[in-house]
Amino acid sequence: MDRTAILSELKKVLSPYTENKEQLNGITEDTDLIKDLKINSANLVDIIIDAESQYNIEIDFDAAEKMYNVGNCIDVISEKLNKTA
Amino acid sequence: MKSAGNDIVALNAIDIQRTTSTAFYSKFIIPEERAFYQQPQFGAVPFQNFVWLLWSVKESAYKYLKRLQPDLVFSPSKLIIRNITVPHIQSTAEAAVWESGNKNEEFHTGEVISGTHRLYFRSKITGGFIASIVNDTPGFENVYWGIKSIQNTSYEHQSTEVREFILNKLRQILSVDNLRIEKTSEGCPVVFNAENLLDIAVSFTHHGYFVAYSFYSVSS
Repeated sequence: MDRTAILSELKKVLSPYTENKEQLNGITEDTDLIKDLKINSANLVDIIIDAESQYNIEIDFDAAEKMYNVGNCIDVISEKLNKTA
Repeated sequence: MKSAGNDIVALNAIDIQRTTSTAFYSKFIIPEERAFYQQPQFGAVPFQNFVWLLWSVKESAYKYLKRLQPDLVFSPSKLIIRNITVPHIQSTAEAAVWESGNKNEEFHTGEVISGTHRLYFRSKITGGFIASIVNDTPGFENVYWGIKSIQNTSYEHQSTEVREFILNKLRQILSVDNLRIEKTSEGCPVVFNAENLLDIAVSFTHHGYFVAYSFYSVSS
């Protein structure tokens, strides 16, 4: 799965946690989950759990703490997908 | 340099089943912290409240430290809670507006460690929310803390309400009217009086139907 495909799937993961659907549709790798998408920090773990389910991967402590913007989320997911391939 | 950090979790906005799954809480609670829940003092505390108590303390500590270390990344498993004391009297009642100041009120208390930093926390748990603040001294002298319920949960409403709530308190404390809040590029809130940046560390938070502030000020 390439980064564009991961980004497309990631929008579905993030959607329940942001009110700003317009901003979500236009996200880039620089988009910050909290500052730009206004996602409540209390939902960050939900996003990690949902990403694990969406991509059938396991995201550990060290990887999870990098997932504060979209580019970092894609890095983590991509790395985990490559390990399971 | 003083800082401030707080967090609030609205209990009607959480998924209890998900919260209590190992897959969820193990993302930010380490085994040594999980072991606190076996202590008799937690006998009457639902496990989901324990999980969100630890989250709110770690989030508060992160906000406190982020102002001091702007490149800090939120890493809840590295913000380690060393001990927790549950209050003898736990009141779950809540008012529309609550502000600290009652010296007899008891809180959940303890320490949170991040590298060489040792911080102290106070948490208030009601039927509706879990709210925490942190500070670098256990007495919380000159630390102001307020919690308020609001009418709707839209981000815009929460954001407007929490700013008004803290600005009203600051106007009262500082006896000035021309206050406004901005955020630094790192996301830390700062207070201006007209064009003058004030030396007051503030923190605010919102979730569901609740907003809360904390700040340090020696003015009164």
